[in-house]
Amino acid sequence: MKNGNLSQNGEVCIEVSGLWKVFGSDAKEIINSEKRTASKESLLEETGCVLAVRDVSFQVNRGELFVIMGLSGSGKSTLIRCILRLIEPTAGKVLIDGEDICGYKSKRLIELRRHTTGMIFQYFGLFPHRSVLDNVAYGLKVRGVAREERYARAREVIAKVGLKEWESYPPSALSGGMQQRVGIARALATDPEILLMDEPFSGLDPLIRRQMQDELLNIQAEVQKTILFVTHDLDEALKLGNRIAIMRDGGIIQIGTPEEVITTPSDAYVREFVQDASPAKVLTAGNIMEQPNILLYEWQGPKAALHILGTTGLDNAFLVARTGKLLGLVTLKRLVELVQKGGSSLGEALEPDPLTCTPDMLLEDLFPLAASTEYPIPVVDDEGKFVGEVYTSTVLGSMIREKTEEAEAEAAKVEAGEVAAEETKTDV
Amino acid sequence: MFEFPEFLSIPLAEWIDAGMSWLLTNWAVFFDAVGSGILFGLLHIERFLLWLPWFVIVLLVGLLAWRVMRLWWAGLLMAVFLVLIGSFGYWDLSMMTLAIIIAAVIISLALGIPTGIIMARSNLVESIIRPVLDAMQTMPSFVYLIPALMFFGLGKVPAVFATIIYAVPPVIRLTNVGIRQVSPDVVEAARAFGSSPQQILFEVQLPLAIPSIMVGINQTTMMALAMVVIASMIGARGLGLEVLLAINRIEVGRGFEAGLCIVLLAIIIDRITHALASRQEYTVQT
Ligand SMILES: Nc1ncnc2c1ncn2[C@@H]1O[C@H](COP(=O)(O)OP(=O)(O)OP(=O)(O)O)[C@@H](O)[C@H]1O
Ligand SMILES: [Mg+2]
Repeated sequence: MKNGNLSQNGEVCIEVSGLWKVFGSDAKEIINSEKRTASKESLLEETGCVLAVRDVSFQVNRGELFVIMGLSGSGKSTLIRCILRLIEPTAGKVLIDGEDICGYKSKRLIELRRHTTGMIFQYFGLFPHRSVLDNVAYGLKVRGVAREERYARAREVIAKVGLKEWESYPPSALSGGMQQRVGIARALATDPEILLMDEPFSGLDPLIRRQMQDELLNIQAEVQKTILFVTHDLDEALKLGNRIAIMRDGGIIQIGTPEEVITTPSDAYVREFVQDASPAKVLTAGNIMEQPNILLYEWQGPKAALHILGTTGLDNAFLVARTGKLLGLVTLKRLVELVQKGGSSLGEALEPDPLTCTPDMLLEDLFPLAASTEYPIPVVDDEGKFVGEVYTSTVLGSMIREKTEEAEAEAAKVEAGEVAAEETKTDV
Repeated sequence: MFEFPEFLSIPLAEWIDAGMSWLLTNWAVFFDAVGSGILFGLLHIERFLLWLPWFVIVLLVGLLAWRVMRLWWAGLLMAVFLVLIGSFGYWDLSMMTLAIIIAAVIISLALGIPTGIIMARSNLVESIIRPVLDAMQTMPSFVYLIPALMFFGLGKVPAVFATIIYAVPPVIRLTNVGIRQVSPDVVEAARAFGSSPQQILFEVQLPLAIPSIMVGINQTTMMALAMVVIASMIGARGLGLEVLLAINRIEVGRGFEAGLCIVLLAIIIDRITHALASRQEYTVQT
């Protein structure tokens, strides 16, 4: 689910190569001279030009949700604007569906923006003189869609973002979070193939934010859009992204899947960035599962099974059908009982109500399962086939580590607070 | 004492005269056409205003004022002001003056709003037009009478012409400012959804500039009214001429009466256009 569609269709939808944006009068000369390697600060000091995007290259596959993450001022908004040429790049290429849009005449560019792309802005950019309904219908209006039709569609999307009662109000009557949702609805109304989203969920409260994130994942699962998503929130990036690009001072310093970014940060900056991400929110059963030493197969007899368990010194093993389908867990205790009874089928030695999990299940969600059993948890795919096992000790161990880290952090905070409190006391 | 050296003198006046006479000989047809166009429109407006029975005009103005100011007593007050003008015996002259103002304002808007739009879209054009506007507004208004006279002779047409030159700068300026002050975020969003330049102008920039443009229209109208008094010197009949005659003959009472009529007219026009302008704060229509 999460990263599944990344590799299955490798068709490139957006390709950015060698993209530069320098704000200032002699931008072109700067990037063609040796100054191009200078740091952002020294460039600003020497030439008065602001380096916003530095030699950025990446590809986004069709149907992928690609996250661009970075601190404030790292050039995320500038980059995403360059992709639609809302800002002209100083150098470099942007290819959409294989066509270099930097070579587009303004007519073609307008067509592209009308029919292929949709954008959500960090600062909303709503039309203050139009009602919510007209704002949302705007993209369809410029396309030339008839009034009734575009209002019908706009109403549909407005209902989706939960602003039904507000359609006739001007944006100024709405709160920031509601305005952001109008911006989201406006971009969704045209049903574009490519969505560019600049911190779309930043202004929303946690509850609605989670709803919108889930809604986005739903849309993504239903109608594979290609999405470029800017955020500075790591948890959001990890939750949504098929891949994540991390930007610093205009350049991309790492591109990778959420797991890669968390587990193998490319440098100290990224490590610092991701250090407070909780692995439980990223790592899945598939990441931590192991292959068992032995498996029992349904055609084996109980005695043979007992022998196998005896030689390996284990007290349980999973029973698998001919097709690879998981049948359940056989424990040593039950097996011995079965042999004493003289039973012939291993199926009679199964533990009742076996637990299972899927490879994309988050560690976070495994905690309750792990706590309720003393045996390993089998991992099965969509068809019920056995693919690996997860040791409860691994799961619980990571939870304990997380809890103690949190507790330590809390303790450190409390301590700092006490110190501060004492200091203020002594000040008085 | 040092005399100012002869070789440094610039015969600007001669050049301008030469230019004017060149214009007059080569562009005579053009000025004739423009002049008769203006006259045609002006006479129709004037005839229409004089054809309408006075109480109809009083009623219409009262209703309009009430609607735009949303105060019943304001409407009544404006109607009473108009009746006062009639009571002083200046009804016909006021209507003539009003006709010149209406003609001049219509033409000013027709020229000024597009000019303001062009100015807003190009920094180069703005940097050229801005000093011209500054000059137009600092020049004493009498100066405009001279070219007006030369192009169109004596009469109503040069009065309208001079009024336009004097009154057009505010609407140009405020159209320009109104469009430029539209938030770049909003324009960017419009661009991102694939608006053509025309769509950006008509769907976003102009609607958002309307409050500013309305202020420009108000100012232009008030300046037109001020100029009409001066324009009476070159043959425009109306209230201005009355004031002028009264001054020449030192008839204080008559001058005061005519002057009062101008003030009343000014208040009526100002209040109505002002209310129109301030009503325009983003009324959302669905
Ligand atoms: N129009 C502009 N003119 C000059 N400099 C600009 C302009 N727009 C952006 N910049 C500069 O480019 C750099 C990157 O800005 P950008 O808005 O892309 O950052 P960001 O990553 O989106 O930050 P945030 O998370 O705060 O939105 C900043 O240093 C900014 O000062
Ligand atoms: Mg930004």
